[in-house]
Amino acid sequence: MNLTGETKLFIGVIVGTIAIIVAAAVLMSRPTPPAPTYTREQLIPAGTNTKGTASASAFLVEFSDFQCPSCKAFSTVVDTLAEKYKDKLQFAYRHFPLDQHPFSRTAAAAAEAAGKQGKFFEASTYLFANQTNFSDEFFTKAGASLTLDTTQYEKDRNSDETKKKIDDDRFFADTARLPGTPTFYLNGRQLTVYDTAELIKAVEEAVK
Amino acid sequence: MKEKYLSEKTTNRILFILALVGVAIALYVTQSFLRKTPIVCLNSGCELVRKNPASYIAGIPVPAFGLVGYAILVILTFLRTTSNTLHKKLLPWIVGITGGGVLFVSWFTYTEAFVIGGFCTWCVVSAGNMVTMFALSLNSYKNNR
Repeated sequence: MNLTGETKLFIGVIVGTIAIIVAAAVLMSRPTPPAPTYTREQLIPAGTNTKGTASASAFLVEFSDFQCPSCKAFSTVVDTLAEKYKDKLQFAYRHFPLDQHPFSRTAAAAAEAAGKQGKFFEASTYLFANQTNFSDEFFTKAGASLTLDTTQYEKDRNSDETKKKIDDDRFFADTARLPGTPTFYLNGRQLTVYDTAELIKAVEEAVK
Repeated sequence: MKEKYLSEKTTNRILFILALVGVAIALYVTQSFLRKTPIVCLNSGCELVRKNPASYIAGIPVPAFGLVGYAILVILTFLRTTSNTLHKKLLPWIVGITGGGVLFVSWFTYTEAFVIGGFCTWCVVSAGNMVTMFALSLNSYKNNR
């Protein structure tokens, strides 16, 4: 068979592309070491926003970002699980504000300020529900919308203490090399869940 | 006679490279869908898209269809280099497949915007790639009529 120069060039490019794809496949299929297991004290340090039963043997910790669409998709299921198994499960929310989301730190600070007035999880629900409406003005008005003491809310959401708490959570997330948001830990072990059904199944197994 | 802006040979080379780029993107995204591993993405949209049932047609991940389409385009652009007859004969097929591809990516971009509520960077790049391929092949077809 007489191949033209152009055909030979194309064959060369195809062979080169296949070589790159095979090399990438080999690199990507290398086994990754399992994520470390953490104690309850490490995952739920003092001051973390929790609900459910603190003495329950099962504990679920979520690292989340209020501006992350996947976190919003999971939030309703997490709320349902936390309510349904409130006697058998302790749920904790920790911040993992991603750099690409301009309002994620502001939202985390707003939730923390609401938490100072006992409304962290009300604020969480409100923030996820209004995720697409985030703006500086939105966060200024959020205190009143959540019927908080707005003066205290403003003071708390801009305080160094709040900033440090969010930074500490983010530091943990970075150090633990969390793969993204949301990341869940169930009884200290990182969960590999790709949809809400898998999360429900894992939690239901844990609270049996 | 005025020389055409892009020669037939150059156009086919560009179509071939773009089809290979499409294969690489579709292959990467498809394996993430099948292995259920996070997609490296510029935003969080890729994960949102991957986890949404609207990104599967009869249980088959949408990028798998892109993979098949781009693979066919690689084969067609390659076969065009083997003879002058095939070079002319296969062009309408490329126009047809990329045209179908444009309709497909338009539907999926609409689904991302209004059903899923998030955009996967790779899908957007792939959509742009398909539109470019369609425009190039259509232009080439018009020049050859």
